[in-house]
Amino acid sequence: MSQKINIQEVLKRLGIKEINSGVSTGTKWFETEGKLNKSTSPVDGSLIASVQTATMDDYEKVIKTAQEAFKEWRMTPAPVRAEVIRQIGNALRENKEDLGALVSYEMGKIYQEGLGEVQEMIDICDFAVGQARTMNGFNLQSERPMHRLMEQYQPLGIVGIISSFNFPVAVWMWNAAIAITAGDVVVWKPSSKTPLTAIASHKIIEKVLKDNNVPEGVFNLIIGRSSVMGDNFLDDKRIPLISMTGSTAVGKRVGERVGKRLGKTILELGGNNAVIVTPKANLNMALMSTVFGTVGTAGQRCTSTRRIILHEDIYDEFKEKMINAYEKIKQRIGSPLDPETLVGPLHDIHAVNQFKHAIEQVQKEGGKLIYGGEILEGPGFETGTYVVPAIAEAENHYDIVQEETFAPIVYLIKYSGDVENAIALNNDVPQGLSSAIFTQDMQEAEKFYSAMGSDCGIANVNAGTSGAEIGGAFGGEKDTGGGRESGSDAWKAYMRRQTTTVNYGSDLPLAQGIKFDLD
Amino acid sequence: MEIEKDILIEDLVEDYPFAEEFLRVRGIKCIRCGEPIWGTLEDACKEKGFSDQEIEQIVKDLNEINQNKNQQNESEDQHTRSIKTIRYKGD
Repeated sequence: MSQKINIQEVLKRLGIKEINSGVSTGTKWFETEGKLNKSTSPVDGSLIASVQTATMDDYEKVIKTAQEAFKEWRMTPAPVRAEVIRQIGNALRENKEDLGALVSYEMGKIYQEGLGEVQEMIDICDFAVGQARTMNGFNLQSERPMHRLMEQYQPLGIVGIISSFNFPVAVWMWNAAIAITAGDVVVWKPSSKTPLTAIASHKIIEKVLKDNNVPEGVFNLIIGRSSVMGDNFLDDKRIPLISMTGSTAVGKRVGERVGKRLGKTILELGGNNAVIVTPKANLNMALMSTVFGTVGTAGQRCTSTRRIILHEDIYDEFKEKMINAYEKIKQRIGSPLDPETLVGPLHDIHAVNQFKHAIEQVQKEGGKLIYGGEILEGPGFETGTYVVPAIAEAENHYDIVQEETFAPIVYLIKYSGDVENAIALNNDVPQGLSSAIFTQDMQEAEKFYSAMGSDCGIANVNAGTSGAEIGGAFGGEKDTGGGRESGSDAWKAYMRRQTTTVNYGSDLPLAQGIKFDLD
Repeated sequence: MEIEKDILIEDLVEDYPFAEEFLRVRGIKCIRCGEPIWGTLEDACKEKGFSDQEIEQIVKDLNEINQNKNQQNESEDQHTRSIKTIRYKGD
């Protein structure tokens, strides 16, 4: 198994040392004394480097620095703020290959997806630069003479960002690029499973912050155990908004705790995403797209395809095509740094256990494993984290089908009759992130994304469930949390709305014609 | 070191990986979306409706398993050491 990327050279260029500080306020790195977090690669089990995590004292210092920085940053014009983001985008372009390789090596996704993740960061920077001049408010018609009524958006303050291992850096930038442009400052808690990509990202932006005299405390990083960056972070009233990407279980905790203090949240949680394939679909197109959705990132995307809802008329044909495709994929499981690889490892042994559990469970409930499910052994697979993606026939109501398994197992579910029956199955899970339909029939497609259609935040036609562009708002409904990140008008969630009435006359008429005369 | 009910799930699955499966078969899922859930062992148990008494038993069982694993490891270590010694003597 050839590894064409010299990871030691990559680490050196990104400024990753044997032991790294896990706390930064932009250009300053703290001498932290928290527990040492060792980051090992799922690719070969090697120790990549370690991180000295934050203490409560570090946490306090960062939050205070961020509070001070906000006072200055909020008064910096948005297009000036966005100029910093533009330069960060360029710095990421210069480091795309190295950061992409580290994402691949630390997280386990294939190098092409690592590059794609960095490209998402670049794209959102470009998007934010344009958006800086269009974060608009409204001028409204006042009922009173000589009065102006208007609404504008103001920055919130400190935005806490909690990101997950599967998109270790892109999710940060989805949030940070928009929040920083909006005039907020950010405190990022990356996944403790992928701390080095977070440190590398912060090192990449460091020079831009210096060159532009960005106040210390605008971009903050705290890598800490949940005893330091856990409930205290959620309960901290100095942080008006927490944007969290992760599981529904943790999201509920975040929602409850932040809600208790009436803070704001953006929750982007689990998905249980389905693709509907109707008899009117182009099956080859459906196959290509669906397979990327099921095995891409080894099934560890929030938008990974977990269920394929197939009409009975094309069920056997599509199943056959899926098995043939998986047979080809099986030959290309390996090191994610090898350009020939299509499926890399699962992130760790716990993920492998979840995968095994799902396979056992679906069979216990009456389903049938029809492909894959093996844990690979032998040269190149010593970590025990490489698996053959699995296909199982199942029914939608099975407990295991109702939950999200963060691994490459997909359930084939049969439907009969009209597309409405397939839509009902699509919606009959607790989560509501992404969904897709493959059909050439306009009426089926229209029904799918109509009010009677998919109840998910994302409803695609002839495009799979995963691989969203940054230009649209990203997020979902029900147990997915309801938050929206990234493009479109998601910026509004990072700002507070303010209504202003200006009286430019010399009388004082009250609204609703109320009379209140003292004489 | 003993496992206590106020151990963070993050620490539990890292320091005692066997606990993940032990708890999963009892309906407590420590890993969701590939990440450990937040909070303590007690929080996770209470969320699933376990009583204080049941939680005490879970903690006790986890410690017993851990102890057995340690003993097993020690005996394996001794076995390995004795093989090395024999080899050394043979050299």
